[in-house]
Amino acid sequence: MKVLFLDAPYSGPVELCQETLDYVKKFKKVALYASVQFVSKLEKVEEQLKEIGVEFVTSKADRTSVKSQLLGCDSYHDSLRLEEEFDAYLYIGDGKFHPLALVYGQKDNKTMKEIIRNDPLQEKMFLMGIEEIQTILRKYKGSLVKFLSSHNIGVIVTIKPGQEQFRPALALEDKFPEKKFYYFIDNNVSFDHLENFNFIDTWINTTCPRVGFDDQEKFRKGVVNLNDAFLAAEILTKDSLLNKI
Amino acid sequence: MTERLYQVETEKAIAKIREVDAKMVCIQLPDGMKPYAQEIEAELVSATGVRVLIWLGSNFGACDIPLGLQRMNVDLLISWGHNKFVKKMEGW
Repeated sequence: MKVLFLDAPYSGPVELCQETLDYVKKFKKVALYASVQFVSKLEKVEEQLKEIGVEFVTSKADRTSVKSQLLGCDSYHDSLRLEEEFDAYLYIGDGKFHPLALVYGQKDNKTMKEIIRNDPLQEKMFLMGIEEIQTILRKYKGSLVKFLSSHNIGVIVTIKPGQEQFRPALALEDKFPEKKFYYFIDNNVSFDHLENFNFIDTWINTTCPRVGFDDQEKFRKGVVNLNDAFLAAEILTKDSLLNKI
Repeated sequence: MTERLYQVETEKAIAKIREVDAKMVCIQLPDGMKPYAQEIEAELVSATGVRVLIWLGSNFGACDIPLGLQRMNVDLLISWGHNKFVKKMEGW
């Protein structure tokens, strides 16, 4: 079977609204990203930033083929491959889903860089910060603590080729030889069925990293993302935003 | 005609259907574009005579390709709202 992806680019103009232009001036350098619908039309935004003397940096994230594109799963910042220093994020797009990845990605940092969201549809600016995810992060921290003291761990693996991470998950057995890992396979995560497996103490999510965060409330026993599970003890002892909330 | 905030680019879809000589096509749309399905189906059928199956479920990203479509003899999946996804084998 062949697959054709169509970006569905935004039909309207993509530019910074006056509110954003006024606000972004206070930063020397911003990291510029956009969702796929807007990423091919960033010329005007780049021009506007130059006009007001704000420098910008960007990068091509690991999972995209286009520079400046932000995916919802870029919630662990290593994948952005952004080496340069900058003062704030400037995200172009509608909705919160994608820029929330930039908030999650800073949970283990000492401080949070501001995220300025310029919505070309509403022609408005929104600011995003740790308060967006405070409730989720509190529960997430609890899940990390619980994971470390749990014995029976349910590892959720999806069969979707783009999301399947079975082999990386197997390394959990080496890192935590005292725990028993059970592997659960699914297409979409069937939240309604989690409770049927009552012998599981804590879940590990290997599917899409946003499931571990955004759907945290749906896991009564708690859920931890795979890469955080490997580093749970280190994460919980770091001087970080996660440990301050 | 539904007002389109996003370009549907059916001409690209039609060109691909002709290029691969597809007889059965599945169209997958993100939630915001699902209302366009009726018009897209009509355009594809009228231009190429292809049979169109509309994916009912999720379209979270290019990582979220429906499985098992081959069992329905689908030759071509057209997925809107995302671009090519490069999977990292070693995790996120």
